[in-house]
Amino acid sequence: MSTDDDSLYTSPDDEERHRRLLDETEYDTELGLEMARDAQRVSAGELSEVEFYRRYHERIVEEFDIDDREIDLPDPDEAEGSGEGFLDDLGSVLADVDPETDESRRSVMQKGAAVAGGLAVGGWGTVQNAAGQDGGGGADAPGDDEEGTRWGMTINLNNCDGCLACMVACDQEHNLSRGAHWMYVFAYEDEGQADENFLPRTCQHCTDSPCTKVCPVGARHTRTEDGLVLTDYDICIGCRYCEVSCPYGVNYFQWGEPDVPESEIDEDTQYDDRGRWVGNRPPEGVMGKCTFCVDRQDGAMGEDLVGTTACEEACAMDAIHFGDLNDPESAPNRHLREYREAQPNDTSEFPDRKEHTVSTFELLAERGTEPNVTFVGNEPSPHAEQVEGPVTYEEMGLVDDRKEVLDDGATATQGGESA
Amino acid sequence: MSVDVTSVDRDTLLRPIETLSRRYVAALAVALGLIGVWLAFYVQQLQHGLVVTNLSDWGSGGGVPWGLYIGAFIWWVGIAHGGIILSAAVRLLGMDTYQPVARLAELLTIAALSCAGLFILIHVGRPDRLVTSVLPAWPTCVQWSPLMWDVTVITAYFVLTATYLLLTIRYDVSRLRDRLPPRLEPLYRALLVGYSETEDAVVERMVWWLAFAIIIMAPLLLHGGVIPWLFALLPSMAGWHGGVQGPSFLSIALTSAVSGIVIVSAAFRYAYDWEALIPDAVFRGLGQWLGFFGLIFLWLQLQQVITGIFAAPTTLQHATEVKISTPLYWVAIGLVAAAMLYVFASSLRPTLFSIPALVVASVGVLVGTLVEKVLFVVEGLQHAHFDLYNGVPGAYTPSAVELSALAGTVGIVALFFLVVSKVIPVVELHAIEDYEEVDT
Repeated sequence: MSTDDDSLYTSPDDEERHRRLLDETEYDTELGLEMARDAQRVSAGELSEVEFYRRYHERIVEEFDIDDREIDLPDPDEAEGSGEGFLDDLGSVLADVDPETDESRRSVMQKGAAVAGGLAVGGWGTVQNAAGQDGGGGADAPGDDEEGTRWGMTINLNNCDGCLACMVACDQEHNLSRGAHWMYVFAYEDEGQADENFLPRTCQHCTDSPCTKVCPVGARHTRTEDGLVLTDYDICIGCRYCEVSCPYGVNYFQWGEPDVPESEIDEDTQYDDRGRWVGNRPPEGVMGKCTFCVDRQDGAMGEDLVGTTACEEACAMDAIHFGDLNDPESAPNRHLREYREAQPNDTSEFPDRKEHTVSTFELLAERGTEPNVTFVGNEPSPHAEQVEGPVTYEEMGLVDDRKEVLDDGATATQGGESA
Repeated sequence: MSVDVTSVDRDTLLRPIETLSRRYVAALAVALGLIGVWLAFYVQQLQHGLVVTNLSDWGSGGGVPWGLYIGAFIWWVGIAHGGIILSAAVRLLGMDTYQPVARLAELLTIAALSCAGLFILIHVGRPDRLVTSVLPAWPTCVQWSPLMWDVTVITAYFVLTATYLLLTIRYDVSRLRDRLPPRLEPLYRALLVGYSETEDAVVERMVWWLAFAIIIMAPLLLHGGVIPWLFALLPSMAGWHGGVQGPSFLSIALTSAVSGIVIVSAAFRYAYDWEALIPDAVFRGLGQWLGFFGLIFLWLQLQQVITGIFAAPTTLQHATEVKISTPLYWVAIGLVAAAMLYVFASSLRPTLFSIPALVVASVGVLVGTLVEKVLFVVEGLQHAHFDLYNGVPGAYTPSAVELSALAGTVGIVALFFLVVSKVIPVVELHAIEDYEEVDT
């Protein structure tokens, strides 16, 4: 989604309409338009009312001799991010303009109408955001904005030795049924790459995730506060459209009774800080996938484990780095920076070369999903082939091909099978 | 090519309601048997979950998460397009030849859409949540989820068709009421609530507009829109993407729908000696439509194969190569091609034409379109853009539980026709009597 300021909420047509409206007044058209744009930002929660007040105070006084927008300056926390409050304020602006100068009042009202028109559009944006928060909807997920938390990973393929410890740790911590691997490590051979390569694959927690877009009931959703892509196990109907739409194959449906019964699962790891059941393994008939250990991020396993994941903790090779991508000092950002600094490029002869020789990629970036996992190393080519790694899945007690487990269930006629 | 069947009397029209044959009871038993077999299997699925199917996760899971259930869902929605083809022909284009089978086609639409809905129900992991999860989410999710678009359009199609059917049934029931079974009198009274003959002219206009609305919505929005968009819009699977899916799905729907009407119409003609009521001309006409739609179907398959193998992107090329090296795919193509060739041959040489042969061709077409649709879903899922997994392509053959559902839905459609034909006239009174005749 474009975050271009001017085009975000107002179509060119709207803008033109507002411009004509404002041109008919004797006051500054540009000021009116700018205010309308910023008013939408206030309504969308992107701009605080206080900042909105400050930004235009001088120019409004200059233009109208009075700035009657009521606002509580001393307590910015209270005023911030409340679109409704601003609407009330707008009302008072219109009501309180000096009654003696009728003409000025009419002009201000015309300007106000344009601003209110803009706000109506902005309000639509707010509703969209609210829907995104609760119901899914891909496009308005928290994007690459630098505010708030955006959990993500840097996975350094050069460090990974294919020990599969991360897979085991993930399966155990989330009580996954046999063959379901929220973390899955590929060993593969590729043209032009020596020896075996490894690629640990979590959910990519895409910013523009296809799975949240296609979910018919809003069970698969992006958590607004930190960009985690989660499944509400209480809402999911088990249609598996998310699984079909995901380009990475990270979804694992709970086809039968889970291996680990409900009674053995700590409730604190199941419900997130909004009280929604999104953590730990899914119940029968609904979809599961990597949650970036949402329970850890919400402090359910102690404050120390906030900003960590089970796979990261299990990795002895310093390959997995989890943290807030908006924080320059978080593990993924720091690792990437330090790794690049350790491999400087020779720019003495060619100064236009980039500063380091580190290759990074996002998986299937061309699919437009905007993943929040960055890999250090070489991207597997279309000719890459999965091979048996130095440590096999069997050695670690893991089932690679889940279909083998499920086929047992399919042929069983009595209870007791699980998947 | 209008054929006059107005010499047929009301006795003939009411034959299904006023008779009860041993063959009818046998057919009823077979239909109930098919449904029973499916229910027995479905109880297993309810007990143990979807693990009793042969579905699995794609990716490391080595299978496909969508299979026969989704393929059959698409297939039934396709067959449901019969109602619109016939009501459009009769109401909008004035092709009165097809009037005798118009209601059969509309009934087929209702039955087929119900079966499509049933496949959604048995496909999902938590059928108990279909109402509690879908209804509250509808206002927001309909804005972006193609699956919600499907639910919406199918519901609209169902409601429009049911309204159409209800409005036209009132006319017939009011005039034939004295000959309909008295024990169903409460039902007829309910059907005729508020009826007066002055509404006939208004209803006539209403059903024209309904037919008009449906013909815009059903082909363009349903099988030419939201159903293919379920697949064509996704960024994940190479074989699904592209603008050709809409026309291709629509051609499959129309081909299946005409086949369905041929089979149902032939069954009624055979069972009730309706040679005069549903004359050969109806079947010859339907056969030509079948041939024409089959030609379009084959042409669109050719488009996909050619664009998929000649300098296509790697993953699409791979998916297409696998598709054309799958023998079942050629069985599907062969069945449709054979039906088309038979129909065209019998147009050139009318002595080749026979209704049993057309029925066989139609059954072949329905088998072909079902196979093509299931392959589209399954093979599509087996050739993802991201194919680093050893488990991709996965393996899939439908389990007994899944196959039984197919038999069950065929049983449901048969049962539907067996029951409905005992309650209301399945051929419109208009087919045999002009308005003036009826009224005087």
